[in-house]
Amino acid sequence: MDVVNQIEEVKSKFFEEIQTIEDEKQLEEFRVKYLGRRGIIQTLFDKLKEVPKEEKPIVGKILNEFKELAQVKFEQKKQEIERVEKKIEKFVDLTIPGRFKYTGRKHPLTQTLEEIKKIFTAMGFEVASGPEIEDDYHNFEALNIPPEHPARDMQDTFFISDNIILRTHTSPVQIRVMESKQPPVRIIAPGRVYRNEAISARSYCLFHQVEGLYVDEGVSFAELKGTLLAFAKQMFGSSVKLRFRPSFFPFTEPSAEVDVSCFICGGKGCRVCKYGGWLEILGCGMVDPNVFKFVGYDSEKYTGYAFGMGVERIAMLKYGIDDIRLFYENDIRFLEQF
Amino acid sequence: MKISHKWLKNYIDLNVEPEEVKEKLTMLGFEVESVEYLGERFKNFYVGEVVEVNKHPNADKLTVCKVNLGKDTFQIICGAPNVAVGQKVPVALAGAVIPRNQHDPEGKPFVLTKAKIRGVESYGMICSEYELGLGDDKEGIMVLEPDAKVGQPLAEYFGLDDVVYDVSVTPNRPDCLSHIGIARELALAFGLKLKKPEVKLNESDKKITDYASVEILDVENCPRYSAKVVLNVKVEQSPKWLQNYLKAVGLRPINNIVDITNFVLYEIGHPLHAFDYDKLAGHKIIVKCAKDGEAFITLDGKVRTLRKDTLMICDAEKPVAIAGVMGGQNSEITEQTRNVLIESAYFNPISIRRTSKYLGLSTDASYRFERGADPNAVIWALERAAQLMAEIAGGEVLKGVIDVYPVKIEQKIVSLRFSRLNSVIGFEIPKDEVVKIIEGLELEILNRDDNGLTVRVPTFRPDLEREIDLIEEVVRVYGYDKIPDKMSSVIYFSTEKIKPDFYEIVREGLIGAGFKEIVTNSMLDEDKASLFGDNFVRVLNPISREMSALRTSLIPSALSVVRHNFGYGMRDLKLFEIGRVFKIATDEDEKPRLVGNYVEEERLLILMTGKAEPISYDIKERNFDIYDLKGEVERLFRRIFLENYRFIYYPNNSEIAELEIGVEIGGKYAGRLIKVGDELLKKFDVEADVYIAEIDFGLICENSGIETRHYEELPKFPSVYRDLAFVVDENLPVGEIENAMREKMGDVLKSVRLFDIYRDDKIGAGKKSVAFSLEIFSPQKTLTDEEVNAIIQGVVKHIEQKFGAKLRSY
Repeated sequence: MDVVNQIEEVKSKFFEEIQTIEDEKQLEEFRVKYLGRRGIIQTLFDKLKEVPKEEKPIVGKILNEFKELAQVKFEQKKQEIERVEKKIEKFVDLTIPGRFKYTGRKHPLTQTLEEIKKIFTAMGFEVASGPEIEDDYHNFEALNIPPEHPARDMQDTFFISDNIILRTHTSPVQIRVMESKQPPVRIIAPGRVYRNEAISARSYCLFHQVEGLYVDEGVSFAELKGTLLAFAKQMFGSSVKLRFRPSFFPFTEPSAEVDVSCFICGGKGCRVCKYGGWLEILGCGMVDPNVFKFVGYDSEKYTGYAFGMGVERIAMLKYGIDDIRLFYENDIRFLEQF
Repeated sequence: MKISHKWLKNYIDLNVEPEEVKEKLTMLGFEVESVEYLGERFKNFYVGEVVEVNKHPNADKLTVCKVNLGKDTFQIICGAPNVAVGQKVPVALAGAVIPRNQHDPEGKPFVLTKAKIRGVESYGMICSEYELGLGDDKEGIMVLEPDAKVGQPLAEYFGLDDVVYDVSVTPNRPDCLSHIGIARELALAFGLKLKKPEVKLNESDKKITDYASVEILDVENCPRYSAKVVLNVKVEQSPKWLQNYLKAVGLRPINNIVDITNFVLYEIGHPLHAFDYDKLAGHKIIVKCAKDGEAFITLDGKVRTLRKDTLMICDAEKPVAIAGVMGGQNSEITEQTRNVLIESAYFNPISIRRTSKYLGLSTDASYRFERGADPNAVIWALERAAQLMAEIAGGEVLKGVIDVYPVKIEQKIVSLRFSRLNSVIGFEIPKDEVVKIIEGLELEILNRDDNGLTVRVPTFRPDLEREIDLIEEVVRVYGYDKIPDKMSSVIYFSTEKIKPDFYEIVREGLIGAGFKEIVTNSMLDEDKASLFGDNFVRVLNPISREMSALRTSLIPSALSVVRHNFGYGMRDLKLFEIGRVFKIATDEDEKPRLVGNYVEEERLLILMTGKAEPISYDIKERNFDIYDLKGEVERLFRRIFLENYRFIYYPNNSEIAELEIGVEIGGKYAGRLIKVGDELLKKFDVEADVYIAEIDFGLICENSGIETRHYEELPKFPSVYRDLAFVVDENLPVGEIENAMREKMGDVLKSVRLFDIYRDDKIGAGKKSVAFSLEIFSPQKTLTDEEVNAIIQGVVKHIEQKFGAKLRSY
């Protein structure tokens, strides 16, 4: 067993020494020393003669395996040394900046709208649309806002002619959809709306809304609350709460303004929520029976809810934007941030 | 509307903090915009009495005063010349914020601290009118009334110990445009009892009918008119308490008679008007409409031109007031007024609103009348005002009222089914709770059974007409927060196949190609709108001239964006927008017109300007050109599998386009690719080459092959590539050579790509070399060299003959 011990000894020396090789010269010396014609491994083969006959096959196998392994390891080391030498030869400056490419960006309003759309379409809402140049009937009258009604003061209107206007909200899409089909109806209608208001950091002459409408048998206020809560959790985070405050819209009754607990401070009060802990995000309510009368729905059989939210408002809250005009200025430095 | 906390306390025992009132009002549907603590700015200010004035040992102009503040006496250094022993004065102590600093040029506020002034301690400050922010007098300290209570907080002395809520009252709730209205809501919310003011009149023996008369000629617009006459009033300033109430809600006290009518307006919510009785010709009131074009001077001294639908209050000879809007100068209360006729009426809301809109004149009165006043509060308000005039102005109230009310406005009867309530709400509100709420709203229950209630609605609630209105009231008062959040699991899908979301597909594609999305205003000035056709839509009442038309193209607003960014040094831009354009339809327009004769069309705009690749260390700088734009459009079309398009090359240029390529999609004109013309650029103050494509987005979506994609077997045989270069005339369009190759070779030519255009002396003047790489392919077999050569020889011959071209290399 003497030879086997010798093999083991050589083996461990081999592995120890191969670690320390740093250049081609050392590598060659190492090769001659172990793998050369007169190398250590060859001398071990010579010693096989001394091994008793019955042990020869086993010892021979061990020795052959070691030789093969030694050659593989040597080859690996050789490649490693060559790789290193090549790199030193040819200097590549990796600190040179990557070739710059123009970056595309979706407008923050689009991103916000897409997020809203995805949540509602996942809940089974379809997407509808309608004209921006709208008639008085669809924008006001069929929404239970007769001429001379004080509620018309709630929205300053741009006129195109006596009874043609730029829509002041996306609610006329509700009417157009209900005129065209019978319940069940479950839609959202995103779009641009116009208000004749002085332009400032807080208001612009146009903005974007998302309208929602669900009409069927047995649709209730409780369900409206549940649906909007589910939406808010998806949109603003699972820990937010909603507050429904009574309000008035001519086309819904009961009506509510909805506040979301401030997702910046968690409702404790901060600059964004003006230390109130709540942020107003949308208006909603149960579709007024008078609206059903206009579209020919049976208000005893069907009930429905509707809601509307401002995309700019939500984007401003979400990203902390303090001037609505930035959306329409399209400053690259602004767009680059989203 | 402003509501005073102190004022509310006259009608309910409100012993809660203002913040709690705010919360309750909010949750009842009355959004509180702000809560103003009037006395806040006079915190640490008191009424003091000067008990000693001595010369300052180290300064001639200063005095050392001792001022008694009730509990303690403080030493205060004063620089005012008018300070004297015995005066009652406003005193600020350390910690007070002095509203205006007399020694600061801008009069900025400052916090008062204890200080040593020229070596003598001063524990406070005696203030001037200026410093208190009450006037402009800086010359000396303000001297208060001799009967001022020493030690009283200054806020209280000025009647500022009040909290004012700015409440936004929705248009359906005219009843809450008053303190009693708000008090009724709070009484219900806090479980308090509402105490309405009792009216006790001490009337004289003289009968009003002997002194005045009323005639309504337009009963439709004035269903009720009543009047009372008060003789021998003394017109003077109102007592402090009355002035303070009015100031708290933002009104300017005028004189006791006018103030009383305003007080009743803010108390009960019913607008009144006081006439100088002696200025009413014939002591007669006639209610009728004006003549078209008639002029009338209102109380504010302005001349108003009336219309024939303007309802007027007239005397025997002339108009004296615009009904429900504003009184006339010719009958107003002045210091000389001795006798007063008080008007309390109910006008048709629509008539008042029309007049107010037409005149552009909204007043406290018109605001309430157009939302709906209470026809049956008329007498209450009238007598309340008469009582106050007797008490405050010492008037003699004549016996009785004149009350012309030909058709009584009845209270409405409305029913409520519990089952309906529960199904609309989705939750069962206990019946007793429902009854309690209904009663608290002063609705009279006429009948109650297991199924529901029948109630009589008081006329101060014009908004309650139908069952749904009662449902709303019940759930509003019950509390929205007590209704559970439910969500049904029913999901319907549309019976129509859902279309691919092209907005998203196109946007994603362009963003991947490095474009930034813009969103621009759809309104612009008429000059810019008219650049793209005369059939643009005008806005009748624009915000400004710059926004008086609707865009007919996305190009102008995109150029404005370019201009804006150039202004900040950002000159390399790749932008896109998807937006609507508007126009008045001409006959050929096939687009659906949903409203009137107006067409709305969605367009896609792609814009490039500046460097084709961002500046780099080893790439030659190159600006975008028309081929970059064309390439991007083609890439987008490939992405959405849009194949049936065709470019049309226009040889001419125009004001808008220096270069122009038309796009036809599905056989219809769809838009164009342009290099923007200099004249247009100049209009937008842009100095750079700008390339824009504007294409009908609807046509892009309709013609996309994205929905008809199907698998095509992959070719089994490889393609062969050959390069060909020809020398041709400079003016020969490359497109024609390509087309000729396709024509000649047919399906064998799988693709052809231009890879070089070259000019030099050897080739000769007026000539160019164009080089193409041809991909040759057969679906049946691998083509042999001989076969390929034969094909190539054929096409070379064809091109040489057709265009007089010469083959350059093979």
